[in-house]
Amino acid sequence: MKKHYSKPHQIRAFFVMMKYFFLAQTRNAGTFAFGFLFPVVFISIFGLIGNSTQTLTIGLPSDTNLNNPIIKTIKQEKFVATQIAPESQLETAMKQGKLSGIVSTTQTSDNISHYQVTIITSVANPTEASGVTALINGIVDETNLHDAGVINPPITIAQKQLSGREIRYIDFALPGQIGFALLSTAIFGTVFGLIYLKKALVLKRMFATPTRAITILLAQGGSRLIMAVLQTLIILFLGIVAFKFYLPQGWITFVELLILSVIALIAFLGFGYFMAGLVNDENAAGPLVNLVTLPQFLLSGTFFPTNELPNWLQPLANILPLSFFNEAVRKITTEGGNIEQTIPYMLGLILWGAVMYFLAAKTFKWE
Amino acid sequence: MSDIITVKNLVKKYKDFVAVDDISFEVKQGEIFGILGPNGAGKTTTLEIMETLKQLTSGKVIIDGFDVTKHSREVKRRIGVQLQASAFYPELSLIELLDMFAAMYDVRINPLEMLKEVELEDKAKNYVKQLSGGQQQRFSIASTLINKPNVIFLDEPTTGLDPQARIHLWEMVKKINKSGVTIVMTTHYMDEAEQLCNRLAIMDHGKILKIGTPKLFIKDLLDSGFKKEIKPEPANLEDVFLNLTGRQLREG
Repeated sequence: MKKHYSKPHQIRAFFVMMKYFFLAQTRNAGTFAFGFLFPVVFISIFGLIGNSTQTLTIGLPSDTNLNNPIIKTIKQEKFVATQIAPESQLETAMKQGKLSGIVSTTQTSDNISHYQVTIITSVANPTEASGVTALINGIVDETNLHDAGVINPPITIAQKQLSGREIRYIDFALPGQIGFALLSTAIFGTVFGLIYLKKALVLKRMFATPTRAITILLAQGGSRLIMAVLQTLIILFLGIVAFKFYLPQGWITFVELLILSVIALIAFLGFGYFMAGLVNDENAAGPLVNLVTLPQFLLSGTFFPTNELPNWLQPLANILPLSFFNEAVRKITTEGGNIEQTIPYMLGLILWGAVMYFLAAKTFKWE
Repeated sequence: MSDIITVKNLVKKYKDFVAVDDISFEVKQGEIFGILGPNGAGKTTTLEIMETLKQLTSGKVIIDGFDVTKHSREVKRRIGVQLQASAFYPELSLIELLDMFAAMYDVRINPLEMLKEVELEDKAKNYVKQLSGGQQQRFSIASTLINKPNVIFLDEPTTGLDPQARIHLWEMVKKINKSGVTIVMTTHYMDEAEQLCNRLAIMDHGKILKIGTPKLFIKDLLDSGFKKEIKPEPANLEDVFLNLTGRQLREG
């Protein structure tokens, strides 16, 4: 028998363990649910929702003159949807936030080209209100000038439209979903996985072998890393093939995404190990895991951009680890930038990871 | 016969609680040594310290020439361990588990042969949780032999098993011992201790009360004037049970 437990032994043990840990994960329902099912379902939903363009919905009371030239112009506007109904119904709808405004015309004299345009908007929705107001004002001013016979007004407007891809929600949502899948796998998988193994004395039995504890834990982490890379690939493929998710630099972007995902996963695994070391029971783990993951899911720009959050919340939201990942990914996907531009964000993420691994090393109890 | 294990003044303290209170004993090569005692006596803790799974507070434990604290990896290489509860990866089959542990012990084995030895070859592709209690224990014991150890440690090997499975497991333990493996086991079953163990340490509250052979214990007890109230019973309930249900193993 060999005298020393040498590197070759640890290496063989590492690869064999990693193979079996990975296999075990593929047979585990939780891995499938969190790592594949949820993200795939979310992406499908977002991919299908995503194609609505912004519209203003303007209500036209059914008991007013709908043949008025102003009203006709409104109806022809590309990004305006109109709804014709009795005024009381329209007012109710607007209070419920379903209309951007209500527009009607009333004659002010016997001259049919003299009328008053009434715009009703809601204080509750200032952006859309100003959209409606600006639109109507524009149309009215143009009509007024035309009717007054002014053919060459002193100030003219020239409008240019830049061509570009239509930004769809899926382009925003997909990176968020990848981040979601990575964080879920890393944390839920590691925490609940390790707690179960601790409880079922599986880890203990393994520590009775001459394979070092660090080799065992690295093999655990390694197998989760491989699983998560697989999940990322599948989510990306689904996004690209089914929903035409856009990669600005094609294969290069794809590879860059994978690199970012691997770094993120290693950092998130640190969180997982740290938390698995703190608790010994699934019941205690649940709240802790939720405390760490839920705020990130909601605030890191997974489902909506962080700049939609209140100003006081944004600085906090922006330093969350998942935020760093989402920002970095969007830099190379929606913003079409280079991987160098992601460096500040990735450094933030790596710093989080380093802190977590340090804390995990200090607190992890094997049993 | 030389000593394969030496335990000297072993102490294990948790904050203020003393789980193992200055115990000493030797285990001779080739014997089956039992540690008998009620729950909470400190048996499992003692075993886990010998298995290198727990740090001792003070004292010395030498197994097969190596100190468990200073050369724990050398000790791990030479021992086999069977933990109290089923301790195997839930989503791996028996044959996959044996293969994985073989890599962890850095040995080459024939997993199917090993399963044949314990009559589990037709369960090779099953998960541990799909086995009956007796089958799980047999697998567990089989897995202690992967690295062809000189010493194996069994923690309450028949707790929770039905009578047929217990008897079958005892046969297995005796067979392993006959092949030259020293066995250290804990139990709180008197009949098990009597059936299997060459020598026993009786433990309670962290201390060893007595070490010796079962015969010696009984002799000492009788010498001290003890008289057992004898009610002649040609048969007891266990005999009835075994007679009715047979000595055949009941496996799913």
